[in-house]
Amino acid sequence: MITSKETPAIDIRDLRVDYGNFVAVDDLTLSVPSGEVFGLVGPNGAGKTSTFRVLTTLMEPTYGDVFLDGVDILEDLESARRIVGYMPDLAPVPSDLKVWEFLDFHAAAYGLGTKLQRRERVAECLEEVALTDQRHSWCKQLSRGQTQRVVLAKTLLHRPRVMILDEPASGLDPLARRDLRQALRRLADKGATVFVSSHILSELAEMCSSLCVMNKGRLLASGTAEQVRQQLGSTERTLTATLLGRQDEAAAWLQSQSGVHRLQLAGEQVIFDFTGSDDAQAGLMEGLIAQGLRLRAFEEKRSSFEDILVEVAETNRRS
Amino acid sequence: MSSETSVPPPTRHVMWKPWANPIFRRFCRSRLRPRSLGIWLLVTVMIAGFLFAFSDVLGSKRFSLSLEDSARAPLIPLLWFQAFILFVLGTAQVSGGITAERDEGVIDYQRLIPMSPLSKVFGYVFGLPIREYLLVFATLPFTAWSLWKGNVEMQAWLPLYTVFFTSTLLYHFTGLVTGTVVKNRRWAFLVSIGLVFCLYTIIPQLEKVGLVFFKYLTMAPVYSECLPGLLPKPVGAVVSVGQQLAPSAKFFNLDFPEAVFTVFSQGGLVLTFVIMLRRRWKRAESHLLGKLWATLFFIWIQILLLGNALPLVDSGSLFPSRGFARYAHLDFNWVPNRMEAVGMSGLYGLVTLVLLFILGGMITPSPEYQIRGWRRARKQGRRSLPFLSDAATGSWFVALMAIAGAVGWYLFTQALVESRWYPGHVVPLSTLGYFIAIMLAAGLGFQVLLETRGGRAIGLATILIGVAPVMIGAVMFAIGEWLYTTASWVIGASPLSLPFYAAGSLLSLSNLPDGVERAVPRAFHFWLLVTSLVTVWLITQLRAARKQMAQRILEDET
Repeated sequence: MITSKETPAIDIRDLRVDYGNFVAVDDLTLSVPSGEVFGLVGPNGAGKTSTFRVLTTLMEPTYGDVFLDGVDILEDLESARRIVGYMPDLAPVPSDLKVWEFLDFHAAAYGLGTKLQRRERVAECLEEVALTDQRHSWCKQLSRGQTQRVVLAKTLLHRPRVMILDEPASGLDPLARRDLRQALRRLADKGATVFVSSHILSELAEMCSSLCVMNKGRLLASGTAEQVRQQLGSTERTLTATLLGRQDEAAAWLQSQSGVHRLQLAGEQVIFDFTGSDDAQAGLMEGLIAQGLRLRAFEEKRSSFEDILVEVAETNRRS
Repeated sequence: MSSETSVPPPTRHVMWKPWANPIFRRFCRSRLRPRSLGIWLLVTVMIAGFLFAFSDVLGSKRFSLSLEDSARAPLIPLLWFQAFILFVLGTAQVSGGITAERDEGVIDYQRLIPMSPLSKVFGYVFGLPIREYLLVFATLPFTAWSLWKGNVEMQAWLPLYTVFFTSTLLYHFTGLVTGTVVKNRRWAFLVSIGLVFCLYTIIPQLEKVGLVFFKYLTMAPVYSECLPGLLPKPVGAVVSVGQQLAPSAKFFNLDFPEAVFTVFSQGGLVLTFVIMLRRRWKRAESHLLGKLWATLFFIWIQILLLGNALPLVDSGSLFPSRGFARYAHLDFNWVPNRMEAVGMSGLYGLVTLVLLFILGGMITPSPEYQIRGWRRARKQGRRSLPFLSDAATGSWFVALMAIAGAVGWYLFTQALVESRWYPGHVVPLSTLGYFIAIMLAAGLGFQVLLETRGGRAIGLATILIGVAPVMIGAVMFAIGEWLYTTASWVIGASPLSLPFYAAGSLLSLSNLPDGVERAVPRAFHFWLLVTSLVTVWLITQLRAARKQMAQRILEDET
């Protein structure tokens, strides 16, 4: 199928998934351009897995449209399934097969050429996930991280244009996580679109070019990591000005500035919270210097993504 | 990363090459590993060898049979052993295997692979029990030797082994459907074994009370037919006396060899199972059967029930009291009891009603499914749901099935009551009206309740309205005669009792015992009226709910 460059790889419109009276995904509209590593983050029960199951055609939505590379997945199931590669949460593997058998079975099921061609492709994918040495191991004997990688290799086999990875990094050690990050970037560079979920925002921020945040089935924010931070209202940061003397004067001046609150003195330092743009923050530094104060250091500390997510989840729980 | 191979564009697997089916090959790989297969083969060959040697030697040495006769002796034990391997172990493997795939979560991968649903179904049904097929294959040399040395004619063993294979398919498909539908692994295993047990032992018993078709779901008729040719000649001769008296499979005015009719009956059921599985593999949320297929299947069963039963009325073979005498007209003074026909008519009605419940349940959409259907219809610019879609109401088709069932029931009853056994008795056309009213009231009531209130309500209704009154009434009957009238009214509240009450109340043959002869007809008319009114009320509720749903979705859209 030929798709124009403008056609988003994933186009979700007004998606809704109900389980009886429970709304798992509520009015989700999202567009992911081709060649991106796009992250979906949210706490447990946010609706990530339901969204992914719809995207992979494993579940019919209650309402809404989903297009993968321009293909309406509700109308053309077969084509959609050729486009997509899916790695589910907990990455199950059959207990009665060896690693290469598992991969060869999928390669055969996708009709990937002759036996020899399939063998080469399996070897490539195993190398991609650094598991060549486990080729003859039983799937059931692999560690959690190795299992994740085997399933990732399975997902890569037929070179899907859209890859849906549900919590792929869970259970991986830092080294494997770095390898995964690099592998995903390589795939994106080759034109594949990777839609990846996690409940750990910082993990996604590292590997994704853009991301979105869901909670209780609703989309809260989307864009680059910084845009998400802003959309979630977390422009607040803690600033620390270290001065050589005249701290009281500095505190008095800062107190009069807009966006400054919760100010306190600690020896040489004036510590305060600030809400405002980066321009306004730079203006504060200029102002302090213009007052003739001797600024030795100016330090910024932002809330972590995890803090933001916890805050969002807490707010929702309270409401 | 290594340089990538140039893999040709993916090709779709061809269904008519089962040996190239990836799912089949995957199970060949995992279930035929040399070490465990070797042990299984050893045990199987040992048992088969024992059965062969023991029977052969017992025949020749102990009973002094000729070489030819003693060679035949192992055939039946070997057949039972092969049946155990394929029917019991194979079916358990199929249902257990498919549920294990789901439990492990790997079934989602299989849903996504670009193979046609039929290829997936065949991959599983032949792949999962591959070891069992191989084990049976390992016992075949013993069978072949016995057939050869025993000079057994092909007409004796070919039909038997053909039906053995179709029965195997039927049971394996039963296991696969059960494993696909039932969520819990342990339950799937138990239900599939239970279903096979029912198919093989309980349901065929209905043959004894007039529903002859059900015996053709087993190997039994062909087994009986072929048995004399497989046994040592002296024993076979005795059995063949009975066999010569036994009728071939009768279907209206046609006579079929038992094997042909069994294959035909089982083939229909296997085809239905294939359609169920194909639908489920295509879309996991699909109904097991489409509306049209369910209706045709229902009518097909009715035709088979009538086709097998009606030709046996005049000879009296259909009546339970004929017992063994059905094979031999020994007692010339035998006549059926009047209440036999009444009971058989009631049972036919009950079986038809239960079938209506099962198929009606299969084609009834849940509220979520209806919403999805409405939304998709709106998206496609339709103002109504496609008539045959899963989301459309199942009521029209249940009504159609109810009428077809009532007609079948009426024809069966008419054939019994107006037969030569009951001179002077007729079944008026008004009885057909009653039968239609019962099927519509109970069948449609069940379906409409399911569609409006969901599975939980129907479960509760089945227990409280369907089963509980029968149990309470039975206890009251047991207490004493003074409670007969009340018990009749209580049992009559269950829609399941309506067919029997109808037969007891409407047929001139009916000779109800003292104490219930007035209560049963009254209770029947009263409860039929109540059931009909409730059904009409439920239908109005359903119509209102569907209209509201359509309106709401239209408003959402705009």
